[in-house]
Amino acid sequence: MNTSASLHNTASPRSSHLAIQLTLGSFRLDIDTQWDAQVAVLFGPSGSGKSSVLETLLGLQPSARAHLQLAGELLEDSEKGFRLAPEKRGLGWVPQESTLFPHLSVRQNLSFGKKRAGPQAASIFQQAVEVLEIGSFLDRNVETLSGGERQRVALARALASNPRALLLDEPLAALDRNLRARILPFLLRVRDEFGLPMLYITHDPDEAVLLGETLLVLEEGRVVANGPAREVLWSPAALPLAEALGLENVFEARVAAEGSTSTQVHIKGGQQLTLGDPLPSDSAVTLAIRAEDVLISTVPTETLSARNTLKAKVLRCAPHRGHVHVHLDLGGEELVARLTPAAVSSLELQVGKTVYAIVKAQAIQQIS
Amino acid sequence: MVAGEVWSMTWLTLRVAATATLLSLPIAIAMGYFMARKDFPGKSLLQALIALPMVLPPVAVGLGLLYLLSPQGPLAWFWDLLGLRLAFTPAAAVLAASVVGFPLLERSCEQAFAAIPRRFEQVSRTLGRNPWATFFRVVLPLGQRGVLYGSLLAFTRALGEFGATALVAGILPGRTETLALGIYSQVQLGDDTAAFALCGVSFLLSLAALLAAEGWVGREIKGQRL
Repeated sequence: MNTSASLHNTASPRSSHLAIQLTLGSFRLDIDTQWDAQVAVLFGPSGSGKSSVLETLLGLQPSARAHLQLAGELLEDSEKGFRLAPEKRGLGWVPQESTLFPHLSVRQNLSFGKKRAGPQAASIFQQAVEVLEIGSFLDRNVETLSGGERQRVALARALASNPRALLLDEPLAALDRNLRARILPFLLRVRDEFGLPMLYITHDPDEAVLLGETLLVLEEGRVVANGPAREVLWSPAALPLAEALGLENVFEARVAAEGSTSTQVHIKGGQQLTLGDPLPSDSAVTLAIRAEDVLISTVPTETLSARNTLKAKVLRCAPHRGHVHVHLDLGGEELVARLTPAAVSSLELQVGKTVYAIVKAQAIQQIS
Repeated sequence: MVAGEVWSMTWLTLRVAATATLLSLPIAIAMGYFMARKDFPGKSLLQALIALPMVLPPVAVGLGLLYLLSPQGPLAWFWDLLGLRLAFTPAAAVLAASVVGFPLLERSCEQAFAAIPRRFEQVSRTLGRNPWATFFRVVLPLGQRGVLYGSLLAFTRALGEFGATALVAGILPGRTETLALGIYSQVQLGDDTAAFALCGVSFLLSLAALLAAEGWVGREIKGQRL
């Protein structure tokens, strides 16, 4: 349901622009950011303001000053005194905690947004039920559902209201790791089959890399990085966060040959890595290496147990909280190693110097 | 006293208590929701004022009401405008019962609504329902047991109401004489048998209402997962 007021300010149907100023006690949210992608991931530690951004978007933070344009639609413009009520924004929201209405059956929960869904209500209801495979428990009481079933129903309820965009607030956070892996494919199906613009909030790097085209990194109420997922995880601004998550180095790789106890993969630029886990050959994988797991040698070495010795050039050395991040060029990919200042000076690491990065097979994590 | 009089007195008592509860209900629901969801300066004072009729001597409440209803009182212009004289009518008995039962009803509604996570209302709004629809489709159904429980408590309180009713409605046989007032006047007349008979009827009515409140609705509230 579009209001005429919101139709004026339509740019590209995917372009979004959020400018929000909000003070809640001692916390201050101040962002001004834009993107142009079907799926944007808002990424950051808890307490960084992710939920406040979401609540402002939904129209549930009346004290925020904001200019909100989501997927081409203007929702709010404090300057002009324009503010759509939450029920007029047409957003499908899946909150973190289960918020299925306990007094309604699964079917009644799904039909709750039927009025807004308009003439397509019946077909979109059917599509949501099919994509999320919840047809077998439509007439159950929501209190009897498992955690994974609840989140699928919550997602279906948001979809069945025929929203113009989906806002997902850590929809998998309440689930254990196993269950998460089973629900993720449903999210990917929703993304691909409904084709709706999505804003996905998470502090889980796997979900961020898997789902998002664009990644917005939020820290202490500010957007510190914004761009394609992998570039952002590498940007200097996001490095402290990536470090906390063990994601300083993220590579796309293709499996070249599978052994019984190890796997060879190729990364961009042609270098080869050896992993400790067997993987199906010719599959694409995403790998992460912690900066502290990378050793640097100035001479090629064959006397170490580590399986990976990669020729590299020093790009730059950046001091950071008592240690040094040494950025290496692997001939296409960049690798960050964390060293002590003493090691950097005794190895005489300078920009352009040729060195060898050494990584144990076991230190390479597969994240997707 | 004949059986017919006992029956008509019982019927009057039930009617007065039920009318009083039904009249208070919308106000108590609105007030309870407001108090459960809003914070404002002076909220504690307002809460105390709402609870006041519950702890004041009922006779004092009755005197206050009588003053407000009297043709010489501060609201005289209002009663003149409507052409109403409520004091010493069944309507006055209903008013007295409403005022003393209201705090129980309002408090129960307030607690029921306060226990409902706001997220439910927020989700309802984002699914396209305006605040009114959200109230009737989400808040009221989720709080209905508390509302029902409070209604039964207020109804029970109204059944036994004496002090305020005696002052503002008088003890007019067949007109305002409810069971509680009947017991008092039978004792005054020295008819202990009749007084005890009326006590017995009061006892059964109150017991039934309390059993309904505690046994059924009360248990449901405890078992409710919210």
